[in-house]
Amino acid sequence: MREVISGVLVLIGAAFMLLAGVGILRMPDLYTRMSATTKVATLGVGSTLLAVAVYFGELGIVTRALAAVAFVLLTAPVAAHMIGRASYFIGVPLCRETAIDELRGHYDLRTHELESVCFPELELQLPDLQVGRLRIPDGAAAAGRTLAEIELRRRYDVSVLAVCRGSHTIPNPDGDVRLLPGDELILIGPPERLDDVAEALKGG
Amino acid sequence: MNLTDLILWVAMPVMSLALVLAFVRLARGPTLSDRVIALDLTGTVGMGMIAAYAIARDLPVLLDVAIVLALLSFLGTVAFARYLERRVGP
Repeated sequence: MREVISGVLVLIGAAFMLLAGVGILRMPDLYTRMSATTKVATLGVGSTLLAVAVYFGELGIVTRALAAVAFVLLTAPVAAHMIGRASYFIGVPLCRETAIDELRGHYDLRTHELESVCFPELELQLPDLQVGRLRIPDGAAAAGRTLAEIELRRRYDVSVLAVCRGSHTIPNPDGDVRLLPGDELILIGPPERLDDVAEALKGG
Repeated sequence: MNLTDLILWVAMPVMSLALVLAFVRLARGPTLSDRVIALDLTGTVGMGMIAAYAIARDLPVLLDVAIVLALLSFLGTVAFARYLERRVGP
């Protein structure tokens, strides 16, 4: 019985290690490859070590096997975090399909300071106004229409400060800027009207 | 098929294949970071192979080897991460 369980565990571990190998070869960029090596390979080696614990079943060996599992579970995320952090800072590219890079433009790579995306001074001095970000979802009614056509200022008292599209930003957009799904609007207006805009843009 | 044969003829080849795939990534890069994580993966898979071999050959002392390998692999990765960040730093 013990042999059967540990045999199954070893096979599971080997299968996950193979998956990790396929993942590191096939994934499109460093960051997704890293998820294969850390998560999948950790599961594989953990399963194999559990097989050792089950097969021998002596207190000393089980303790060492479980300690090894705990060690891998602790160190794999730390190592991956350090590599990912260093790689992001030295400019290892994300794959082309990446939709959101929330640090870009807000992070100083030399001083390691994160800029806030909210505007605290503005909210202090003009409590009735709020600056918000709003993403145009796929299939929204606003997608494909121009800013003039959706009439945010007349209908909701909300102004568009900028349109963020992929990596570039259109500041102070004209009425003839056409919105695409995935665009992010930087809006300024009364807080409750911003919520109305979010509701209206979400609807089909 | 007993457990020793299962490990030596099925599990070990599968793990070796994973090792080969990791080495392909190690050779291809393209960045140094990719090579570092490929090396990290070879360390992890090697640890699994040692553990499986410990069962197949009934040698529980090999578990200590696996633990040392995990420790070295972790330290190597952390050192590489520090080096990567320092290399282009101020």
